[in-house]
Amino acid sequence: MAGTLSLPDSEVVQYLCACKKWNSIYRLYICRRCFKIRCGDCVLHEVDSPYCPNCLENMPSAEAKLKKNRCTNCFDCPSCGHTLTTRATSQMIPNPDDPGKSTPKKMYYLACGFCRWTTRDVAIPDKPIASGAWEDMENPDAARISTLLEHYQLLAQKEKVEKERKKYSRRRSHLMYAASMDKYGLVSVAAKRKGLISAGPNPTIKENEEINIKTIKEAVTVEEFPPLPDEIFTEPIQLTKKTSISQRLAMSEFQPSEAVELYPRRKHLLIRRSLRCKECEHNLSKPEFNPLSIKFKIQLIALLYIPEIRVVPPGELKYKKDTKIVLTFSNPVNTNTKIQFIQAEGNEGEKVTAKIELPKKELVLAHRDVPAMYADMPAQQDFKDDSSVVSFRKANKLGIIFKVTPLVQEGDVKVCFVLKHDYLNTAATLPSENEEPEIVWLEHRVTVNLGPVTSSK
Amino acid sequence: MELVDTFYNNPEYIETASGNKVSRSSVLCGSQNIVISGKSIIMTDCVIRGDLANVRIGRHSVISRKAVIRPPFKKFAKGVAFFPLHVGDHVFIDEGSIVNAAQVGSYVHIGKNCVIGRRCVLKDCCAIADNTVLPPETVVPPFTVFSGSPGQFTSELPECTQDLMIDFTMSYYQHFKPVGKGKGK
Repeated sequence: MAGTLSLPDSEVVQYLCACKKWNSIYRLYICRRCFKIRCGDCVLHEVDSPYCPNCLENMPSAEAKLKKNRCTNCFDCPSCGHTLTTRATSQMIPNPDDPGKSTPKKMYYLACGFCRWTTRDVAIPDKPIASGAWEDMENPDAARISTLLEHYQLLAQKEKVEKERKKYSRRRSHLMYAASMDKYGLVSVAAKRKGLISAGPNPTIKENEEINIKTIKEAVTVEEFPPLPDEIFTEPIQLTKKTSISQRLAMSEFQPSEAVELYPRRKHLLIRRSLRCKECEHNLSKPEFNPLSIKFKIQLIALLYIPEIRVVPPGELKYKKDTKIVLTFSNPVNTNTKIQFIQAEGNEGEKVTAKIELPKKELVLAHRDVPAMYADMPAQQDFKDDSSVVSFRKANKLGIIFKVTPLVQEGDVKVCFVLKHDYLNTAATLPSENEEPEIVWLEHRVTVNLGPVTSSK
Repeated sequence: MELVDTFYNNPEYIETASGNKVSRSSVLCGSQNIVISGKSIIMTDCVIRGDLANVRIGRHSVISRKAVIRPPFKKFAKGVAFFPLHVGDHVFIDEGSIVNAAQVGSYVHIGKNCVIGRRCVLKDCCAIADNTVLPPETVVPPFTVFSGSPGQFTSELPECTQDLMIDFTMSYYQHFKPVGKGKGK
């Protein structure tokens, strides 16, 4: 797909994450405490607030858990999956005082605007109120599931009590604090994963109290299935009256095989999540609570701190022939950034198919000037650029010339190098202290895919 | 990849004082009801139906070739009523898409050949994949990608979507260059 949609997953320019995975810069985060690149796989995900993607109502995770992570007001069409809309009709209802006359009454039903499915198709009676009257179907195994749940909760409690008797004090950490304020269910999950199970008193179980675990009915293996009904062999199948596999699996508790057994299903909730560094437990990304907001309270994404590399589409790349290519480096921070290049040593899982000659001198990326960007006034810049290295300079962007020699006769030309840049760490010092912010040099291993080799024929 | 220059025939486009580039072969019905804030591009063969209701398009948006922007209507007991359509800033609408939405937020990407049904609400920072059909009254929340027919939630966008869309639409405008003689005024 063209434009921005393909960028986050493109493999043209990739950076090495601290967990040794290659990712595009758009999917990476940077921790300001440990100065390491993080990707979605090496951060802790925490649920901030579940919300309904249709009515955009958000709720705490405890409430969402009670509602089985589904919205109470919005329904999905069991036939095509689109959101159902409420339709109003007026029905004539016989007047109780005067049986001869009838009065109109507003009745509501659900209809799909895409596949035209309605609740009337499956003979669900219309409701007298617009919302809230659509009750769920009773799961046939609900009783069994709840006894099993209770049983395992008791088991878990017993294990916890036994563990607590052995262990005493533990170091408090940010996670412990967060867990004690547990508004959002997943903090405790994150804490558990780190092995910091909360040592707080359990209200339901007192010390030294024995927990009685009742034995529950054991699961029975199904050995015989009822035989197929005779009609299956005699009557022709009407495919229009059967449900598709996806329709069936969308209602996993009932899995109806006939179209007349379809029932509106409550809409699944989506979540807003915040991310935390696995090592130092500092927040890397924290969105605002409101699911409509696109602002962040904390947003340590790599794109805002690390120079972004893009490829200017190269000309012909020929086997064993030196070619000049241009990569652009954009400075995302509002101070000038010095960059250096180092040849990559060793191998971190990249497939290098070409030799690259790197500029030896240190180069300076101009700072990012947002007002000038909108005002269309290029700021005065006086950098003495070496034209053999620098192809062009435009605001915070610098085009740098590299010499590449492809070492393969066919396939993509891939190069690898280490980008080193300075970074003004404003997080470590408080503004009140009259200290200079610390300058840190960060190194990132980068691979660039320059596209296929032009065949020599 | 860095964007490459796309060239247009200079006499074909009108450039307004606020920097909008509007193709002469686009169809703008009821132009007094169409407000384009500035630095937006309306390409050849686009249709914007300002005669039905007000259409407001934000800054740095791109409406690609053959796209149709049409305010949505709602049926009432007595006839139909059209609602105004707002398109936010830094919005990219790709070729051949039909937009019938009530609202398109800012930093939104709509792919090629999409149909955005009546009174859909596209919030900020969301994306619609190519060839998607959004049924009427769909809500697309921030940081989600909808695709398929009917369009459904399929994936999430990264946190940097806003920066990406700003960069993309601004550099698209910078790389949209005229060639040939004639004044584009």
